[in-house]
Amino acid sequence: MNTFYLQLKKSPLAIIGLSILLLWIFAALFGPSLVSYTYTEMDMHNQLVSPGEQGHLLGTDALGRDVFSRIIYGSRTILTVALLTSLLSSFAGIIIGFIAGYFGGLVDTFFLRIMDILMAIPPLVLSMVVLGILGNSTILSLTIIVSIAYTPATARVARGALLTCKNTEYVDAARIRGESNIFIMFVEILPNTIGPVIVEITARFAYSIMMIASLGFLGVGLQPPTPDWGMMVIENKSIIRSAPWTVVYPSLAIASLVIAISLFSDFLSKVMINEN
Amino acid sequence: MSFMKRFLSRLGFMALTVVAMSFLIFLLVEIMPGDVAQTVLGQAATEESVAALRETMKLNDPLMVRYGRWASGYIQGDLGESLYMRGVQINSIFWRRVGHSMLLALSALIFYVPLSIFLGVLAGVRAGKFSDSVISFLGLATMALPEFVSGILLITVFSVNLNLLPLTSVIPIGQTLWQNLEILVLPACSITFVMFGYVSRMQRSSMIGVMNSDYVRAAILKGMPKRYVIFRHALKNALLPTITIIGMNMGWLFGGLIVVETLFGFPGLGSLTMTAIKTRDIPLIEACVLFITIIFVFSTFITDMMYSFLNPKIRFKREDL
Repeated sequence: MNTFYLQLKKSPLAIIGLSILLLWIFAALFGPSLVSYTYTEMDMHNQLVSPGEQGHLLGTDALGRDVFSRIIYGSRTILTVALLTSLLSSFAGIIIGFIAGYFGGLVDTFFLRIMDILMAIPPLVLSMVVLGILGNSTILSLTIIVSIAYTPATARVARGALLTCKNTEYVDAARIRGESNIFIMFVEILPNTIGPVIVEITARFAYSIMMIASLGFLGVGLQPPTPDWGMMVIENKSIIRSAPWTVVYPSLAIASLVIAISLFSDFLSKVMINEN
Repeated sequence: MSFMKRFLSRLGFMALTVVAMSFLIFLLVEIMPGDVAQTVLGQAATEESVAALRETMKLNDPLMVRYGRWASGYIQGDLGESLYMRGVQINSIFWRRVGHSMLLALSALIFYVPLSIFLGVLAGVRAGKFSDSVISFLGLATMALPEFVSGILLITVFSVNLNLLPLTSVIPIGQTLWQNLEILVLPACSITFVMFGYVSRMQRSSMIGVMNSDYVRAAILKGMPKRYVIFRHALKNALLPTITIIGMNMGWLFGGLIVVETLFGFPGLGSLTMTAIKTRDIPLIEACVLFITIIFVFSTFITDMMYSFLNPKIRFKREDL
């Protein structure tokens, strides 16, 4: 853990990434109680106000809603869904990948083939079609569908991580001791694959944000009036010439968040993989 | 496994995947809430007319019978009739859209492949230096950006501020895409943003690996010009993983097309898919998604074959050796 801090001190990009991420987490946790407008509040006398005027820091949209407040509220939804998605897909991936890799043989082939078939459709297309067909996405349906779309990828990573330590002495020792397969997988092997698993969860977090923003943009994400960054962009795209702030600021919010997470996860993967 | 054997087993698996996917897609649309006949006729329709339409559309047949009919139609090249645009054969609108998307994907490839390989090689050769840090940072940053975010940034700069390129990529009625090639530029650049990260990072790391190998060091030590070593000796081997990643990302490219085409209003397969979903046009959804799947599976297959063919370790591997 000490080396972790030492490494972090030496990489300014990772510090920048982590700080921006923490800032967004702070905004998601406490922002809504600090901003002066709610995300549905319409200021009918101040539609399409430019940033900085009439007390609207980032201006207002066509309905007179405060862009800054909507971005702050939006950080809460996107971070929640992305966090749940990355955890759920990693969890499912670990279970499937571990079972496939641990038992090997036919079990492995069976799971691998199913994963290959599921991977034959791009995750974004899969989620978009399913969510579009089901209609009226909620946080729950969004989380479950995106997690399913990502599970084949996480399962492959988990399986690969398991295979690197499957044939070690401590696994043999546990087996001779008569431990159950579940014990060996999750108590003996899992802690030793924690590096790649953490790296995978962080990277998945960035992908999830990218995916959820894209789904919101395509109109199959959370329903209005829930503030969703992707949705804010497509709602206002037609007025980009006259009111660019309604489109550019949500875009910048997405950009800053995903870039921040990528910088940090890139750092994590360097540290974690060198350590192992 | 010989090359031929690998080819056949991959081909078989590809066919299996397409069949499995076609069934999955069919099932997926089956679970769509609401009755198809009711959707077509609208809420005001009487029960009799809905029942009659169900009969004419043969919706009362068992699932497997309907799947069989649907699949055999596809094999004969009949994509069916659109539900939303009554009487319109999907074949009559589909292929033009596919052509547009192919052209867009191709323009993106022409942009990002040389650019990413060149900068990836540069970063790999100059690993740890300033130019490498800049390229690596750019790759990391653009890789995570959703296509519509990079698209919006490009629109803001080139359409809104500089007024150089069109804001939307709509083809005026009566004209073809060939007469409006400038509408491809911004969508292709948006895709380039995302793909650049993946490809340049892969190129960089494989270049670093190859530059540290014995044969490259030997070539440098015996005094060959560095440029010659990089392009003649190292690049040849360092391109292999890059080709794989480009092929594997074709699926991402097509997912990205949906987002980019929606952003720019570009009349391609992606925006058609989106329209189909929004209008709950079942036959059209099936056609679009199955086609995207086939493209994806096929490009993975080609990539795999190219990899085996270009890699002498696999090409010349024989069981008796």
